[in-house]
Amino acid sequence: MTNRNRNIGRRHLVAGASASSLVGALAGSRLLHAQTPPVSPAQAFTPQKPRIRLQPFDLRADQITDIKVCLRPFRPMGPRFDVERVGNKLVFHNYGHGGSGWSLSWGSASLVVEKVSTTLQRKVAVIGCGIIGLTTALTAQRAGFDVTIYTKDLLPRTRSVRANGSWTPDSRISLTAPAGPGFADLWEKMARISWATYRDYLGLPGNPVEFIEHFVLSDRPFNTPHEEGPDGRTGDYASTGMPQHGTEFARYSDRIKDIVPTAEELHPSENPFAAPYAKRNTLMLYNFASYGHLLMSEFFQAGGHVVIREFHDPSELTSLPEKVIINCPGYAARDWWNDKSLIPVRGQTAWLPPRPDLPYGLHYQGASAVSKTDGLMVQAYDLNNEGEMGSIGNSFEHPDRSESERAIKVLADLFARSPLSEG
Amino acid sequence: MPRKFFFRLMRSGPLGAMALYVASASPLHAARPAASSIPSFSAEQAQSGADLYQRACAMCHGADLSGNFQTPSLKGRLVASWAGIPLSRLTGYIQRAMPLMAPGTLSPEDATALVAFLMRENGASPAKTALPVTEKRQASLKFPALAIQPDTSPSK
Ligand SMILES: Cc1cc2nc3c(=O)[nH]c(=O)nc-3n(C[C@H](O)[C@H](O)[C@H](O)COP(=O)(O)OP(=O)(O)OC[C@H]3O[C@@H](n4cnc5c(N)ncnc54)[C@H](O)[C@@H]3O)c2cc1C
Ligand code: HEC
Repeated sequence: MTNRNRNIGRRHLVAGASASSLVGALAGSRLLHAQTPPVSPAQAFTPQKPRIRLQPFDLRADQITDIKVCLRPFRPMGPRFDVERVGNKLVFHNYGHGGSGWSLSWGSASLVVEKVSTTLQRKVAVIGCGIIGLTTALTAQRAGFDVTIYTKDLLPRTRSVRANGSWTPDSRISLTAPAGPGFADLWEKMARISWATYRDYLGLPGNPVEFIEHFVLSDRPFNTPHEEGPDGRTGDYASTGMPQHGTEFARYSDRIKDIVPTAEELHPSENPFAAPYAKRNTLMLYNFASYGHLLMSEFFQAGGHVVIREFHDPSELTSLPEKVIINCPGYAARDWWNDKSLIPVRGQTAWLPPRPDLPYGLHYQGASAVSKTDGLMVQAYDLNNEGEMGSIGNSFEHPDRSESERAIKVLADLFARSPLSEG
Repeated sequence: MPRKFFFRLMRSGPLGAMALYVASASPLHAARPAASSIPSFSAEQAQSGADLYQRACAMCHGADLSGNFQTPSLKGRLVASWAGIPLSRLTGYIQRAMPLMAPGTLSPEDATALVAFLMRENGASPAKTALPVTEKRQASLKFPALAIQPDTSPSK
């Protein structure tokens, strides 16, 4: 365990109740462990009325340090994995991971490298150094290849680090119908390989990958069907060439329920927030700065090379010394590979100063805040209750400060009403 | 004990048909390798290997041979590890080591059928002549370099 984990309870979580009732409320939660004396399992499951106090985040628009905008590389049929010949080169595609690129990266890399192995080549070129290109390069090294990454930017300047960066393996990854059942199987494979690979990055200094407490809050019971506000959209992807409803997006996470911790609904007496319904789960996070540095240094330590280069046309690949190329350009494939199947899905995050002492996150009324080691991240998912459809087809990759300010206000108002207080 | 378990597994019905559908639906296998100096094996041999595979191997290596985090895939990387190596060694390895919980239970005919199946699943086409079963004759045949080729199907 790192310092971050040890400090939390002592400094910032205050209990108005006895140690055992606290543990009863959030058994297993790392928020609680610091100052609570060890309890027996029998005690741990005694339901009692707790009063948990989480320290609120300091959510004010004048604390914004950065606003990042990014386009999710979405393809209705799922990511592109086919193989093409360009001159004397063999090009293996690995792009179009929608809102799930961080989550599925290792699994996707592993499936592609498996195919690349059949070429019996020793050297391979990887185009792109976003999270997909970098994990593909590392996976190829681990399979015995000499790898050179050709890219116009390294990870810290890619769209990948303008994401949210949590375990969301089936977020805008495909549409159920065009992707078909074959992709569902492939998805499950990628998700399982990735999940297993992340175990190797847990518990390390700097928390490159970690689990935090996460609360999902709602004004309506969780089992009532979600009703999107009327938005005038008609038809569907088949009739219009664009998804029109949130329900067209594929949801596959039930397939991996056996390995991902289940969310639990909190009893009103356990709910520290002024929203009538609350669920708690543990959420896996990718902390961009520490995880990114770790992956880059692993790549170099294993003898990897980087060439900074921008390509403009597929024919330029014929000048590379490698015969085998893995193409990981993300959304840029729309321009550089002329792939019009990519649909932009805009997303924006605002970054406030880091609060490593408050490792939790919450989601309410279409806004979310998550405490990452490199900043307190606030995101507007669906402030207008459009079933997250507002950003589909939107390629305005430019900050909209008012959107972030609205999201901050939704959550700040919630904190103002909630019985949380300073410790 | 492990042997009993193994034979119980052998008797239980395979999900073969479904598994093969899944394998061909996966975009990873849309690209078919080209044939080049592939040892001849028969369609019946490969099919008997497929049936045996579903009963004795699929639980670990996956119905579509793609393996999982702790079990190697028998596609792709298998080619990289075995291309150019005498088939007798692969047959020998399977007989000696697989299935992991009941090594040594496969007859030379079964192991040979599995090798034919592995070649087929990695893109080789069956021919008229069956793969010989004797170690001596297999020693002069090499596992083929079945490279994945560009995808010419319209759905990408
Ligand atoms: C707001 C937002 C939130 C998200 N949240 C999550 C999340 O919580 N979890 C999750 O799993 N996913 C999330 N995603 C999705 C995830 O960010 C993407 O799927 C992922 O970043 C795609 O990575 P990539 O490596 O394919 O593309 P990029 O990161 O775009 O990398 C492309 C690389 O190719 C290089 N390149 C491009 N064109 C050229 C060229 N012509 N010549 C040379 N090099 C080139 C670039 O320099 C770059 O290095 C989110 C996305 C957004 C927008
Ligand atoms: C209980 C799980 C299990 C079963 C069942 C099983 N295997 Fe394996 N197999 C493994 C594991 C694990 C390895 C890796 C062994 C190692 O690295 O020492 C492996 C390795 C192999 C390899 C070598 C792969 C390579 O890349 O060199 C082959 C070939 C193979 N198995 C074939 C089979 C066949 C054929 C069957 C069915 C008759 C089978 N296996 C059944 C677990 C299993």
